[in-house]
Amino acid sequence: MSKVKVIPCSGIGKVFGLMARETALQVTDKLSPDTTETVCLASIVTGDDAARAKVEGCTCITIDGCPALCSAKSVESVGGIVKAKYRAVDETRNHRGKNAGTGTALTEDGWQIVDEFAEKVAAKAEELVEEGKNNA
Amino acid sequence: MSKSYAVLPCNGLDKRAGCVSKEVALTLAEKTDSEIICPVLYHVADARYNKIAGEKPLLVIDGCPTRCASKLAAEKNLKIAEKINITEEAKSNNIVLADGLRIGENETRLVNIIVDKLTKEQESAARADGSMIFPENLTYEVYKKDKFAFRVPKDKGFYFNENDVWAYVAGNKARIGVTDFVQKSLSDIMFFDPPEIGNEIEQFEEAGSIESGKAVFEVVSPVGGTITAVNEKLLDMPELINQNPYELGWIAELELSDFESDQDLLREFDEYFPILKRKVDEFHV
Amino acid sequence: MPDTQVGVISCSGEECLGGTLARMATRKVMEELRAGRVVSLCLPLYIAGGEEERAFAKEFPVITVEGCGKRCAEKSTIKYSGGVKDTIVISELLGEDVALSKVVSARDLKEEHYKMADIVAEEICRKVDKIVAE
Repeated sequence: MSKVKVIPCSGIGKVFGLMARETALQVTDKLSPDTTETVCLASIVTGDDAARAKVEGCTCITIDGCPALCSAKSVESVGGIVKAKYRAVDETRNHRGKNAGTGTALTEDGWQIVDEFAEKVAAKAEELVEEGKNNA
Repeated sequence: MSKSYAVLPCNGLDKRAGCVSKEVALTLAEKTDSEIICPVLYHVADARYNKIAGEKPLLVIDGCPTRCASKLAAEKNLKIAEKINITEEAKSNNIVLADGLRIGENETRLVNIIVDKLTKEQESAARADGSMIFPENLTYEVYKKDKFAFRVPKDKGFYFNENDVWAYVAGNKARIGVTDFVQKSLSDIMFFDPPEIGNEIEQFEEAGSIESGKAVFEVVSPVGGTITAVNEKLLDMPELINQNPYELGWIAELELSDFESDQDLLREFDEYFPILKRKVDEFHV
Repeated sequence: MPDTQVGVISCSGEECLGGTLARMATRKVMEELRAGRVVSLCLPLYIAGGEEERAFAKEFPVITVEGCGKRCAEKSTIKYSGGVKDTIVISELLGEDVALSKVVSARDLKEEHYKMADIVAEEICRKVDKIVAE
């Protein structure tokens, strides 16, 4: 089974975009490097065939920053099978009163939220991998 | 403020369920603006009660399967808005009505359950949908700065205060919310703390608050009155305020206390739009 | 165009260092070096249908900042808004070895990364100033 694709929005304007990006990197680089990988969202949509092939018909997890859901929308539009959609803004809501940082840099609180978020996403990825094995 | 009913209870004096029916009617009349229709008097002199039944939605309370109250309502050609059957309610709440005609602990508990249910339903309906008639399609004027577009509705009935909160006034009711300037300044809104339904607030008093990662914004009400509804959808989806602060993202509704006075301190579109432009120019979103 | 604002659409790709540097440089230009002059347009939002981003790019000159030679930001801008005024490709500016090396998390940035981002930021400023001077 191919790796589960974890695709963040990486929106540049808000802290949530940075959180989505860092969460995806944490999952694919540190927590679940053997079973997950990331793909550039823009390259999928602008028609890079190799990028598209990684996503089309494959199991994907999208991590968006905010309710605009750019990653979820774009991945679905190119045929990715989005099995889980996450939004960094929702994770931040669970930490009311904390300042996560800006689109340039996260605070300590922001990194704490990212770390927790990444664990959650990694657990989901594991679940999807098991599901894939059972269905094979 | 909960919606009020015209309450027609059965008159089963010889049964516990009939006594509970009367108790529910009395409690409702105490807690809300509901009015009781006496079923005995209604049989012989209906003019007085026809008026009440015409003005308020009719709640019929039957004690038992005989359904005397329902039959009376049918006889009088009344449109029933809601029906309660005490025996069925007792069964579904696992409450055993004892023998005898006095109201005991179990009966009181049942009365409270029924009244809570009725008043909560009213509040939920008021919370989620609002009761105001609001224009279907608004006409907006747009001011652009950088890549952002700030809309302000031009429609008659919209008023704005200096805190960039709008009120749409129709008759004795108003709906309030924040402007595009507020939602863009705050960026993604994550929390909505609603005002309490039933609270009486003065003009420029706080009517709830909204919070983003950047700031907490107190919603300063442009009008005074009693909160009659809140937009409960915002509790789970506060982003509706960002998406559409004038329509889907409305915040609360009020029954106005003195709009004639309030109006003097508010601005309509022609006065407010230049102020908005100045604020936008001075603020880096 | 002395009064004009300039849009910058930046790659923020996660597959290589170029994406990280593009993001860092664009943020620096927007926040510090040319604050008020430069408007950063969010590429994912742009691609997913962001009306405000697309409308701005139609009306104002846009520079794209690419992490690598795929030029995703440029392609998107041409597709949805008609054209770009200028493009910076980090793999051409700093060399492919650098730009295409492994992506770096913001947590692991070192002095050398900040210096590289500064070089890109300066290049963005040069291009912005050139547009404004026209």
